[in-house]
Amino acid sequence: MSETWLIIGGWVSAGLTIFLFSFLYKDNPFFKIAEHLYLGAGMGWLFQVSVTNVWIPKIWEPVANGELLVIIPSILGLSLLTQFIPKISWVSRYGFTFMMGYGSGLAIPAGLSTDFISQIGGTIKPFSLLASMSPFAIFNSLLVAFGAICVLFYFFFSVEHKGHLKKVSNVGIYFLMIYFGAAFGNTVMARFSLLYGRFDDLYTYSAGRYFYATQVILVAMVVYFILHGFFTKKDASTEEAA
Amino acid sequence: MIKNKAFPLIVLMLFAAGGAFAAKPAPAPAAITGLTAADMPYDVGNAAILRWPVDPAAAADTVYVVYSSSQPAAGWIETDRFAAAARTGKDIELPFWAWDGTAAEHAVKVELNNIFGEGVPGSVFQFKVSAVKGKLVIAESLPVSVTPVGNWFRLDRLNNLVLLIGLIVIFFWAVSHAKRKGLFIRRIAGLDAIDEAIGRATEMGKPIFYVPGIGGMSSISTIASAFILGEVSKKVAQYDSQIKVPHYDPIVMTVCKEVVKQSYMEAGRPDSYRDDLNFFVSQDQFSYAASVDGMISREKPAACFYMGYFMAESLLLAEVGATSGAIQIAGTDVEHQLPFFFTACDYTLIGEELYAAGAYLSKEPMLLSALKVQDFGKLVVMVSVFFGMILVALGAKLGWTGFVQGILHLFKGY
Repeated sequence: MSETWLIIGGWVSAGLTIFLFSFLYKDNPFFKIAEHLYLGAGMGWLFQVSVTNVWIPKIWEPVANGELLVIIPSILGLSLLTQFIPKISWVSRYGFTFMMGYGSGLAIPAGLSTDFISQIGGTIKPFSLLASMSPFAIFNSLLVAFGAICVLFYFFFSVEHKGHLKKVSNVGIYFLMIYFGAAFGNTVMARFSLLYGRFDDLYTYSAGRYFYATQVILVAMVVYFILHGFFTKKDASTEEAA
Repeated sequence: MIKNKAFPLIVLMLFAAGGAFAAKPAPAPAAITGLTAADMPYDVGNAAILRWPVDPAAAADTVYVVYSSSQPAAGWIETDRFAAAARTGKDIELPFWAWDGTAAEHAVKVELNNIFGEGVPGSVFQFKVSAVKGKLVIAESLPVSVTPVGNWFRLDRLNNLVLLIGLIVIFFWAVSHAKRKGLFIRRIAGLDAIDEAIGRATEMGKPIFYVPGIGGMSSISTIASAFILGEVSKKVAQYDSQIKVPHYDPIVMTVCKEVVKQSYMEAGRPDSYRDDLNFFVSQDQFSYAASVDGMISREKPAACFYMGYFMAESLLLAEVGATSGAIQIAGTDVEHQLPFFFTACDYTLIGEELYAAGAYLSKEPMLLSALKVQDFGKLVVMVSVFFGMILVALGAKLGWTGFVQGILHLFKGY
């Protein structure tokens, strides 16, 4: 890639990052530009992914090679598009029905095994090693089992949570909150790493090699906001005076 | 001079001695008897199982090497290698009702698709086993062959089937009970706020944003969200308020269109329904988030609902909604996104509450029954964990290995 394209890329990258960050101040035309560009680019990218990763290898090439069976799922897929033609929109039900049936058939046995039976097994399995467990490990296993029962009870909707049952349910909430706190911290740390990535890019594009893209765009936007604020205020005061 | 003659003589003698040793025939390896190869039961036909008796006299440093081949008596590939004391019938990961393995025999599962790639079912494969000590082969079996085939029934998953049948029976009982007498569901706090949110939107004359998340129609949370949307849009139609449903998935959009349309008709306001209440935004996660954020910040809705499957866009959406001053109600089963909804929303439905919400709002017998089945499932888990824990601990303390293993097999996902 030539140097010129690198510099242009740097300006676009720094510009779009700052435009999107400008939303933190308030909604503005720069954010709208970035938002619509993002939307259009996202859709364009997805369209080409659908064509190159789905349409060509999964439909076009098999049909060209004589594998005509792929026509059946293709027709089922196309039937969904009949939703746009009210007269024949009933055809789409075949596609939807197939998808729902296939999805349920795939999800229910897998869900039963992993989310249900394995969870029970995983909770009680440590107790099979009781003889070799340290007191702390025994306490840990009991805590996990107790926590699992209490949390499940919180999600039990068939009885009113009153009296002692309310206490069990409340303990379940404490367990949930501890988990949510840990998950929150974990995700926030991951988000910070994304933020550092953007700042790192802005720092890179602030170099002389990129003709100070970050600083120029930032200053230009600040000037715009000052001028916009000034003229908007002036217009408002003129209207009030009138 | 003598030194000069002696050196080649010594070299010659060493070569001669080496030749003499090499000429000595190596002892023939003993035979490993009783090796059998069979199709691995209850699989798709990609594996074989080899069994042969344990040799009690085998030394600790003896190693068994398993060879396999797709050709008759040629092209052997080393497939597995393990100590003579390892891999007995007890180590095969199948439950007691589907496998009868003893510690008196070796049993080795050979995953043929990992070695020979695709096209394993229906092909013939050869196997042989060698016992090796150091680098010396001390025993070898005769080749045996097997043709793996796919099995229609997974007997190892019998526990899943029994549970599934139990759940189906409970479901039909619950449907019949719900239709006759109705079923009780406890109050869910977040859902009582829905009326408040819609009322607020009506008073303020501002729209309601209902974001169904980025899940497809096969996601359970999206299905639950569609049910809640039905109830929310019915109330919106009754109050003559305005709802906007931005979509990530075109199929979800199509389903939600029907749901909203039906709700407006049930509320007796088909004239108020417009096709553009549901609209497609983007199928790119962050483009979708950026665009919905823009709409929320510009239109300043009175209420925002985030119900369904959410990933990283959860906080992006909820934060902007909170900044715009909307009353926000969220619900998702993606547990690592829930903390963000807690921080930015007024009410949050946690996981299962989202599934319960549709039933709670609609009082539809089918949904209520589904909820009852879920409750039954939770009850089974709670009771199983409680008693399983006690029984396993008791069995382990008293040394009832078979009993403990039996219980663990019952609760193992195969």
